[in-house]
Amino acid sequence: MASTSSSGVLLFAKSKVYVHPTSSAKDNIPGFIALVRPPGGADKDILVAWVPESQLRSDEISAYMRVDLNMDDGLHATREVLVPMPQLTSISSYAFAVPMHRIYSIMLRPPSLGWWWGSVIIHTRSEDVIPALFFHDAESQSTILQQKMRNKTFTPFAQDGDLFWGGDQFMKYLRKYTIVEKSTFEQRLYLINPDPDDLLSFSPPNARVEKVNNDSLSKIIKDARWNVLERLARVTRFSRRAANEVMGNSPPAVRAMLNVPEVRQLGDDFDSARVYLAKWAMSISEEAERNKTKIVWTDVVGDHIGSMAGDILSVDDRVERRNEVSRDEWKAFFDASGRLRVTFSEVKERVFHGGLARDIRSEAWLFLLDVFPWDSSQIERQSIMAAKRDEYFRLKRQWWDDIDRQQVDAVWKDQRNRIEKDVHRTDRNILLFAGEDTPHPDPDSPFANIGTNVHLEQLKDMLITYNEYNKSLGYVQGMSDLLSPIYAVVQDDALAFWAFVGFMNRMQRNFLRDQSGMHRQLLALDNLVQLMEPQLYTHLEKADSTNFFFMFRMLLVWFKREFKWDDVLRLWEVLWTDYLSSQFVIFVGLAILDKHKDVIMEHLEHFDEVLKYMNELSKTIDLEETLTRAEVLFHRFQRTVDAIDRKNREPSNPASFPTTPLSPHPSMNGHVGIGLPGKTLPLMPEAGKVIISDVLRELLSKEVIVVNDTIPMEGYES
Amino acid sequence: MSSRKKTMLKVIILGDSGVGKTSLMQQYVSKKFSNQYKATIGADFLTKQDVRVDDRTVTMQLWDTAGQERFQSLGVAFYRGADCCVLVYDVNNAKSFEALDSWRDEFLIQASPRDPESFPFVVLGNKIDVEESKRVVSQKRALAFCQAKGNIPYFETSAKEAINVDQAFEVIARNALIQEESEEYSSDFSDPINIHLDNERGGCEC
Repeated sequence: MASTSSSGVLLFAKSKVYVHPTSSAKDNIPGFIALVRPPGGADKDILVAWVPESQLRSDEISAYMRVDLNMDDGLHATREVLVPMPQLTSISSYAFAVPMHRIYSIMLRPPSLGWWWGSVIIHTRSEDVIPALFFHDAESQSTILQQKMRNKTFTPFAQDGDLFWGGDQFMKYLRKYTIVEKSTFEQRLYLINPDPDDLLSFSPPNARVEKVNNDSLSKIIKDARWNVLERLARVTRFSRRAANEVMGNSPPAVRAMLNVPEVRQLGDDFDSARVYLAKWAMSISEEAERNKTKIVWTDVVGDHIGSMAGDILSVDDRVERRNEVSRDEWKAFFDASGRLRVTFSEVKERVFHGGLARDIRSEAWLFLLDVFPWDSSQIERQSIMAAKRDEYFRLKRQWWDDIDRQQVDAVWKDQRNRIEKDVHRTDRNILLFAGEDTPHPDPDSPFANIGTNVHLEQLKDMLITYNEYNKSLGYVQGMSDLLSPIYAVVQDDALAFWAFVGFMNRMQRNFLRDQSGMHRQLLALDNLVQLMEPQLYTHLEKADSTNFFFMFRMLLVWFKREFKWDDVLRLWEVLWTDYLSSQFVIFVGLAILDKHKDVIMEHLEHFDEVLKYMNELSKTIDLEETLTRAEVLFHRFQRTVDAIDRKNREPSNPASFPTTPLSPHPSMNGHVGIGLPGKTLPLMPEAGKVIISDVLRELLSKEVIVVNDTIPMEGYES
Repeated sequence: MSSRKKTMLKVIILGDSGVGKTSLMQQYVSKKFSNQYKATIGADFLTKQDVRVDDRTVTMQLWDTAGQERFQSLGVAFYRGADCCVLVYDVNNAKSFEALDSWRDEFLIQASPRDPESFPFVVLGNKIDVEESKRVVSQKRALAFCQAKGNIPYFETSAKEAINVDQAFEVIARNALIQEESEEYSSDFSDPINIHLDNERGGCEC
């Protein structure tokens, strides 16, 4: 390495500490925060430095990483690591280094609601301008390891009661070499080696006091001091009236918030205190997210909800949603003959990250739903369309012309009635399906008095045809929800029918008689939560909710009831790409759970409360945010599986995994799968190795899972 | 500490798809009706506050489930701890009436109440607002069924016109409360609760 004269001893380093020069994430600069002792230097000469990764050679980076990862348990580094002395100042970069005795104070801002990343701001005695340093904890291996270890020993909190973060480790090492006094004047301010004068005033002249807008939510919450929430939380079951009494005594600002119509409405049809509270807490945290650049959250919030601390969204810059694919862009994918000039996986990648513009969906969906082969030309597609239309009308005519059967076949009539009932209550709020101005063709129909419209009749015919086409499965409730968006977009009954058949190809596992397909997906979610969100899983176990039935509706009809119409169209086209996984829908479910996990853990203790809370999320979920989160979670899952596989291939070290099924299995990433009798473990211990369960591994596959119902329909159902 | 513990009664509403389970609940709890409640997928529940039953005030948790048979296996997660089961059919749909028996059996199997013989059911024949000529299940036939199954209380209702809905749920609440109290009595002797064991079980109230 570098010559000794210009080298110092690297005492501490933490990776993935960023400078944010602008408000745009793409300008963020990753680097290391470090403590470096100059040759022969005393403690007061130790440099507190920030070095951008770009200024380090690869051997230097590995030296920094080595020191970073060695910091896991004790304060003793095994062996001195020498690195080049960091630059004191830099004109071309944000790099800096300050000797310990030049530091006046350090402001610590742990991650909390509204602050994705924890940060430190260093104030020097000469009031130099030093950029704030942001700790991207979820990218920093050493912090992840620390957090995992603390979770395992159930001490996730640092000294001051906040969730542990990278800045805590930095301060711990700082304390080793200098005196650190907490200011009583400013919550988050620490004086470094203070003079007696400083100690007396405890109010440093150059500390930047964060100004909080009086109207801001944090002020409101500070005022309330969360007493309201606390009082409510102690009550297990209470009437709305009782709740209102408690609220009535709250500060005006809180009352004002409770008068927001959405908050008000929460109380309208149910009263479970925890569900009420949980929603309230979520509405606050969402408000905070919207205002995150303006609001300084204090430990009051952190102590009480702790949501978003360590929020994974903040830390994975590689995930970025893009603009939707415009008509022009879509057209440019094809050459003059109408054949793709790019690969279909490029198209899928693009659709996965951006979705499709409205005016191109009717064409693009036919590709995504396997009506058109990706390698077809325009002329080929014309003939496919003609053939598909003929085939649909032939299928439809088969039952349409069979008057005998229509009159005597009880099973058939029963299915037709069911379909008609469901069609008349599917998406009637959408203009296309709203009308009732057409007289009903069948005077014996229960809907003869109400009237219908041509689009409802088309839906009905398509579903009856599908009931014939897929005899072994037949029509099952939920299918009308899956068809209506396709019909509304494609606007051609024959083509929409085949697009629906394409969709049903993958969806039929949701409708099997024995419910095995749904069961397997709920099991996958179960295993995934065990692996990725162990704390949440433990809570769900206590709340008797690990059957994950509260996700049943969401998975059965792909969040049709949870998202607004336009968002459903977007979500489905994203999912149809199978770009990362054919079961990406499970990660969408995981993302929603992840977003709400703190609220769930804090407020929901019973199955009915969890179910209610999840059901009531309907129409409140932000799609783009959910998709981003789902993708981050997918990548994290994939990395976890890779890490375990890598570990398993190492012949030297298989014994690091315990072999008894009921003890936690620390994987390389520190994830813990807790086994229960009768439950599948996400990580199966096997001869000293840890094997990822089949349902989990399936989630990495892009291959669509097609399961047919083999039992043909017979007799009455229900 | 003399204040009574607040009582939560859990009621399960079963019946074929489209007979009006969601509508009945919405009418009872929210006093509203729509032709276009979506088909229930999975399960959901509504809570009705401050229900007076004689001198008691109770809260009712009304569980709505999907009507298609294929989703019945989910019931086990929702039926447990039920205090009353409401069986609904459409008086204009014979099949929905014929299915009542299997809904009842299915419930008893999945909920497995301690004493199936005495577990309270209530039968509702819904949609009586539809013109008389469409009606296919007579009151007589329905009453005979209810009698044969151990004098199950029977009501003819219209969720749309709010006919008999409150009356039906009053009996549902009363019978659920009796069930809840008998369960508590047998399961927890130390619970300092005043128990009113009146044997009045609403018979047919039509």
